[in-house]
Amino acid sequence: MKPRRHQITYVPLARWLIIEFTGLVVISLIWSLQSFLAGYSAFIGGLIFIVPNAWFVHRVYRYQGARQTRLMVGNLFRAESTKIALTAVFFAAVFTLMEPVHVPALLFTFAVMVVTGGALRWLIRPQTRR
Amino acid sequence: MEMVFIAASIIIGFGALATGIGFGILGGKLLEATARQPEMANQLQVKTFIMAGLLDAVPMIGVGIAMYLIFVVAG
Repeated sequence: MKPRRHQITYVPLARWLIIEFTGLVVISLIWSLQSFLAGYSAFIGGLIFIVPNAWFVHRVYRYQGARQTRLMVGNLFRAESTKIALTAVFFAAVFTLMEPVHVPALLFTFAVMVVTGGALRWLIRPQTRR
Repeated sequence: MEMVFIAASIIIGFGALATGIGFGILGGKLLEATARQPEMANQLQVKTFIMAGLLDAVPMIGVGIAMYLIFVVAG
């Protein structure tokens, strides 16, 4: 009797994070042409997106498989609310503790990273392994 | 000054409402689809993950703008 082969689909998360960090460094270097403060703020803006997003991914992929779907969905809801809360806390911390801050660079880089993160999920195809 | 706080609360409130509805539908559909075809669970999880990223993009930017309004414009 031939054993059944199960295909497990996974997202290459390490490669994804590397691409995000590379994009962040490039955007920060472009902003740093204007001033060091702008580059620094742009880097912080990107980190505000990447760190909660990495937490989200970690929590969502904690459980896999049909038997764990309920746990996965529960974790999805919890991870999303934690991600938004962490983003709000990081923004509040930056705006209150970091002085001075280049606000356009910070918000622009954050928005670009959010859009890039969504696009990367489409572009990086999930891979299968047995 | 109060208008700034009202604006920020509207941004965060409607963002949270829309995300909640979207994630509710997304999670419900995932459970439903996995119950119908358990062998597709991993692929469905990846697709859910992709859709979650698209779903929370706008509220995340909204949170950033709201925090800017609260701590920089009003502060």
